[in-house]
Amino acid sequence: MSGGIARGRLTEERKAWRKNHPHGFVAKPETLPDGSVNLMIWQCTIPGKTGTDWEGGYYPLTLHFTEDYPSKPPKCKFPQGFFHPNVYPSGTVCLSILNEDSGWRPAITVKQILVGIQDLLDSPNPADPAQTDGYHLFIQDTVEYKRRVRQQAKQYPPLV
Amino acid sequence: MDSEDDMHDANDAESLDDDFYSGETAMDSDDGDAADYEFIDNDSDDSDDLLSRRSQQNYTILNEADIHLRQEDDIMKISSILSISHVAAAILLRHYNWSVSKVNDEWFADEEKVRRVVGLLEEPRALPNVKELTCGICFEVYPCDSMSSAACGHPFCVTCWKGYISTSINDGPGCLTLRCPDPSCGAAVGQDMIVSMVSHDDAEKYQRYFLRSFVEDNRKTKWCPAPGCDYAVDFIVGGGTFDVTCGCSYSFCWNCTEEAHRPVDCDTVSKWIMKNSAESENMNWILANSKPCPKCKRPIEKNQGCMHITCTPPCKFEFCWLCLGAWSDHGERTGGFYACNRYEAAKQEGVYDDTEKRREMAKNSLERYTHYYERWATNQSSRQKALADLQQMQSTHLEKLSDKQCQPESQLKFITEAWLQIVECRRVLKWTYAYGYYLPEREHAKRQFFEYLQGEAESGLERLHQCAEKELQTHLNVESPSKDFNEFRMKLAGLTSVTRNYFENLVRALENGLSDVDGHGGSSRTGGARTLGAGSSKSRSSRSKGAARSSSGSRATDDSGQHWSCEYCTFANAKSATVCQMCQQRR
Repeated sequence: MSGGIARGRLTEERKAWRKNHPHGFVAKPETLPDGSVNLMIWQCTIPGKTGTDWEGGYYPLTLHFTEDYPSKPPKCKFPQGFFHPNVYPSGTVCLSILNEDSGWRPAITVKQILVGIQDLLDSPNPADPAQTDGYHLFIQDTVEYKRRVRQQAKQYPPLV
Repeated sequence: MDSEDDMHDANDAESLDDDFYSGETAMDSDDGDAADYEFIDNDSDDSDDLLSRRSQQNYTILNEADIHLRQEDDIMKISSILSISHVAAAILLRHYNWSVSKVNDEWFADEEKVRRVVGLLEEPRALPNVKELTCGICFEVYPCDSMSSAACGHPFCVTCWKGYISTSINDGPGCLTLRCPDPSCGAAVGQDMIVSMVSHDDAEKYQRYFLRSFVEDNRKTKWCPAPGCDYAVDFIVGGGTFDVTCGCSYSFCWNCTEEAHRPVDCDTVSKWIMKNSAESENMNWILANSKPCPKCKRPIEKNQGCMHITCTPPCKFEFCWLCLGAWSDHGERTGGFYACNRYEAAKQEGVYDDTEKRREMAKNSLERYTHYYERWATNQSSRQKALADLQQMQSTHLEKLSDKQCQPESQLKFITEAWLQIVECRRVLKWTYAYGYYLPEREHAKRQFFEYLQGEAESGLERLHQCAEKELQTHLNVESPSKDFNEFRMKLAGLTSVTRNYFENLVRALENGLSDVDGHGGSSRTGGARTLGAGSSKSRSSRSKGAARSSSGSRATDDSGQHWSCEYCTFANAKSATVCQMCQQRR
């Protein structure tokens, strides 16, 4: 999958997304100041699941693709300092299917990535902590943890 | 295996040499070499035992073809026992680290589970029977015949397959456990599909990983650790030693893969190597030879001059080297600048004792370590030199010698053997220094005996080395065949054999913690009387002379009651004697 196929595949991903995508999600390639489209960086929004503490938040996520895509997974980043046990201080998401050495398969779609991350929001993986703050509260102080999550949800209101 | 044959040859040759040698000493009685070794040589039980031990080789050297053959064999075996394809058998074996019995056990315990875990489908699914399909990777639509799938039937276009497989091959040995690109599918991708899809180079790379896996993932095999060597060693754990001599002539320990290190055990070797490389010795030096500045704590070495020390900027603290107090406090009040009475007074009160003692101890321990390390390292470099000499011998000198002395090269094998023995002895001798370093200081008798044995080994080896180096030169630099060449042959072969025996016994004695050799040594020098002391000294932890004396008394009654063993030289004295007959130490 060397060279060319990353852009072709992303074009197809884009088409498939426009045809049909899950409710509340946004995923579109970055538009540069000169009006051209950069297929390699996608600006996305993940809605918090209803019925969870994450509800009401619309969390911005950036996907960085490389020319090796889909051999290699894209890097997925929330804003810096995002509160979640499996998100690094830089905002990078730590998730098995996004790890090229274990769970990544080239047939995983953008839609599957976004839905996967939405699932991760309310069911963190304590075996794979990526930040101390979120991890310690999640393990030791559920009340404070939930408060922080709800507070963060308010920081990311719908962009209407 | 070649190496095995060589081994047997060497053994045969040796027994001949032994006969030669005993003949020679009889004729040439002014040569005192043999006498020194007698006490070990005469123990015939031991040498029989040794021969049998040496002939039981518990490992096999494998070259690439052998490895390949064994791998194929195992795959065929599994393939026929489980009635599965060759490819499936390979996947299974790899998953269970190439253990045929493990595969059998797991498979017959729960075939379904094994299939699921490994990714082998019972019923392969074909591609969906439609005209056009969408590739799950590039999302392009292709006619059915340019699509391909693993046993699971998930269709991907050939281009994407190629990319997927070659990426995984270039990512490392993980390609051996490749699964279908579909995220929900665990179907294994077989070797046949992989090799048929990728470039020649990638296929070769894959085959290498496959072969390497058979050695590296297998608990019974390891690569020879010598640089540039491609042999692997198949080892049967349980019998004899861990020493392995590879087809490339490198000897290593199968257990820890460091170079062969008998008589020292693996733990000691790793401790020693760690010690040699660690910063700990630097620390000891700093501790022994410097004091920290009382203000900024940087270590200061006092190389000369007066006691008035000024620390380097930015600290610039001025202090007295002796008492480490501020220089401003010094003067008439403290008894003058250069007679620091405060120090003397404080020392008398014991204030400085602890630090002084620690510094003294560090200094001693450093000196002790340096002593052993120097000798260890010197033998190491002697061995490197001997190896180089051996190679030069084999490449040029043997031919020259054969020419000069009108001897066929096959008759000059004794020279190569002598050099091989020198190389081996240097190795053993080197490790005896690590052994000596870790031999507890308080085991006085044992240490003395160890040093005696080591000294003998050293001089024996020097004799052999001298003969192989210097005397050979004279025969190499003559115009016509020298008359005494046969004598030289007998002498060198004899020295080789005698040194070999001595070192083999030394190694075993040290491996037994010297308990055994005390018996041998004692019996030869005291004419059959059994020495009692050092054998039991392991369990003794007494440091004071008084305690040692009383315990030696009780030991004497424990045994035959006829003798007491000297604390210093282990000599077994008659019960009536109050002073050791050998070393004049009091009982």
